[in-house]
Amino acid sequence: MIDKPNLEVEIAGIKLKNPVMTASGTFGYGEEFSPFIDLDKLGAMVLKGITLKPKMGNPPPRIIETPSGMLNAIGLQNVGVEVLIKEKLPYLKKFNTPVIINISGDTIEEYVELARRLGEVSKEMGVAGLEVNISCPNVKKGGMDWGTDAKATYKIVSSIRKSTTLPLIVKLTPNVTDIKIIAQAAEEAGADALSLINTLVGMVVDIDSCKPKLANISGGLSGPAVKPIALWLVWQVFQTVKIPIIGIGGIIKLEDALEFIIAGARAIEIGTANFVNPKVTVEIIEGIEKYLKEKNIKKINELVGIMKI
Amino acid sequence: MSFIYNIKVKILSRKEVAPDIYLMKLKAPEIVQDALPGQFIHIKCSKGNYPLLRRPLSIHRIVKEEGEIYILFQVVGEGTKLLTQKEVGDNLDILGPIGNGFNIYPESKKIIIIGGGIGVAPLLALCEESIRKGKEVRVLIGALNKELVIGEENFRKLGAKVDVATDDGSYKYKGLVTDLLEGSIREGWLADQIFACGPKLMLKKINEIALEVNINCQVSLEERMGCGIGACLGCVCKIKAKEKNNNQNQIKYIYKRVCVDGPIFEGSEVVWDD
Repeated sequence: MIDKPNLEVEIAGIKLKNPVMTASGTFGYGEEFSPFIDLDKLGAMVLKGITLKPKMGNPPPRIIETPSGMLNAIGLQNVGVEVLIKEKLPYLKKFNTPVIINISGDTIEEYVELARRLGEVSKEMGVAGLEVNISCPNVKKGGMDWGTDAKATYKIVSSIRKSTTLPLIVKLTPNVTDIKIIAQAAEEAGADALSLINTLVGMVVDIDSCKPKLANISGGLSGPAVKPIALWLVWQVFQTVKIPIIGIGGIIKLEDALEFIIAGARAIEIGTANFVNPKVTVEIIEGIEKYLKEKNIKKINELVGIMKI
Repeated sequence: MSFIYNIKVKILSRKEVAPDIYLMKLKAPEIVQDALPGQFIHIKCSKGNYPLLRRPLSIHRIVKEEGEIYILFQVVGEGTKLLTQKEVGDNLDILGPIGNGFNIYPESKKIIIIGGGIGVAPLLALCEESIRKGKEVRVLIGALNKELVIGEENFRKLGAKVDVATDDGSYKYKGLVTDLLEGSIREGWLADQIFACGPKLMLKKINEIALEVNINCQVSLEERMGCGIGACLGCVCKIKAKEKNNNQNQIKYIYKRVCVDGPIFEGSEVVWDD
């Protein structure tokens, strides 16, 4: 049996001590989870999506439960990049865990400006990389529009690429006809890694009032219900691109994380499960280590994409 | 905000106190240390993935000496239904205590506590704390009918004066609990603070009455909740935020999190018509 398996992975040039990251929007700005877990144990933290200016978000109800999942339509409520830099990042600097900022905007210029600004403070404030959100289904402008068209994806990613040397992870939406084309466009435009999937667009109807249960009408589906879809898309993208993939979608326990890694994900992000079990990230990290020991696998990297068909 | 624990707590007793309304006693020494009236715990009701999310339930009573808390809840869906099926001796996975709690001003002498339906849940702990602090307390309970009037005797035992209104008149005053509030004001019993929990329309009306007679009014709000620890921004409510802009007071609105910024809000800061 291996005594101490190697859990380290490299994503977009960022060295992670293990492949377990947090999914944007489910982990706040990190501090919210400090009563429950040691943030130093995480592979990386991806923070709540940020925009140039503060954003109010959508009216409530913003979330609704569905079978083995939930719909959300938060609408990117956030404090804006300057407050993030001044008030949120200082707390995270004391941890030895890479911080990745998820960025969103209404226009290409806003993404570019965000990337430039975060690049400018990256050394001082400890920004390890950017996750470019071109897949948010809950905002009126921008959001998912960038990620559903290959040309638009290429245009926005290449523009951001020119404005920063920070590692770029592009987060893809599953709400497309063929995700491989979008993945390729992002890779060609200079993405260092891809993360997938963002949420699937859905809706719930109240049969008494005959109104949608979300004030936004539609929301993004997440949780265990979406896992098989996410796995299939990760596997397809894995066969298409050379850059590393971060698997996201309904991971709630060790076995889910391993499935993604075997299907081609070099790292994984845990999202909705954080709401149910705030210790889930650390439990999965411990589980991966135990699994590798039992299976006599020296490095987690050996498991990536080894699915036999 | 107090420290939020994620612990397993043992169910010590469980009783159906009214149709579909349950009282549960939990052994939770960690929670009672800092728990405040108005706070809640976030409970994992299912073993598996359905229902996925936790359920936020108010702390009904805090018994510090025994290290025990009570929750009082109504069965409204799958989660609460599963909770009633737990046995005495079972462990519950909970997060808590969560939220800001009611703010009883030291200078307040007279307090009115108003509960509508299952809204009485967080108010027994509040009543107990108010009386411990030497306040004169009146409790107004509103319910659909006699069967659903909960906790009347418990409030009275603590030393509060209790009035009850039922929608159908099957018990005591026939009408709305807000009529009782207006009645007590007319008769000249003016409280220094009003605390309320219940349906939103009731809270809105109470706030209007409180504004008219200029009494501080704090309400406990509800919203569909995700994480319960302030991370997901799912459970927000619209709040007026005064910001100084060009030397002029300009009203601005923000969404605040019911879980950790609330669940108790000043009635006057809530945007009721939205």
